[in-house]
Amino acid sequence: MDPNAVAKAFVEHYYSTFDTNRGGLANLYQDGSMLTFEGQPFQGAQNIAAKLASLPFQQCQHTITTVDCQPSGPTGGMVVFVSGNLQLAGEQHALKFSQMFHLMPTPQGSFYVQNDIFRLNYA
Amino acid sequence: MDPDAVAKAFVEHYYTTFDSNRAGLANLYQESSMLTFEGQNTQGCQSIVAKLTSLPFQQCQHAITTVDCQPSGPAGGMIVFVSGNLQLTGEQHALKFSQMFHLMPTPQGSFYVLNDIFRLNYA
Repeated sequence: MDPNAVAKAFVEHYYSTFDTNRGGLANLYQDGSMLTFEGQPFQGAQNIAAKLASLPFQQCQHTITTVDCQPSGPTGGMVVFVSGNLQLAGEQHALKFSQMFHLMPTPQGSFYVQNDIFRLNYA
Repeated sequence: MDPDAVAKAFVEHYYTTFDSNRAGLANLYQESSMLTFEGQNTQGCQSIVAKLTSLPFQQCQHAITTVDCQPSGPAGGMIVFVSGNLQLTGEQHALKFSQMFHLMPTPQGSFYVLNDIFRLNYA
């Protein structure tokens, strides 16, 4: 299993789901998952999905600029570091963001998000 | 042990050391440590320090804007996500950067950097 391929596939899946079916992101988190969104902490798939669904925009499009990944230790996890642009419908300029995911393997051979940290990058 | 306090102390120590005694960063990495610096991968304390001390500037100053942290799993690790400005001596404008650290505990009760990913944030 090539970590770079896994990271790339995850990133594509995550942001496509975010942009087309935000409620579908709940499948990527578990009860122990944590999200820190612009400094605000959330724990558990339900709370995280509720936060993401409640963000003050209906439509958005993420464009990814960089994806870096590294294995995160003996448990088989992986850290993925993303930067990109977030275009909100109706806004003239895209927002820039950085996001970090710590993915952990599931028994079924897939990954879930254990840690998620999102920050906008202001000019 | 308050994770936020640990993260804050680590970040202060890391960037102070980087800005005043870059080679001193060697104490924060081990053989298994990984650094991805602007997309370039390096592994192991020696190689990482060699990379950091070979960066094309003598003097620099980091100014930290945000620090987010989360515990990373049962091994006692911690994810730290930083954004800030990097002022190089002689340059008119500071560079903006984001950096992610995955810290793991040492038997002596301190932390080392297992994963380190650095990216500049271009306007």
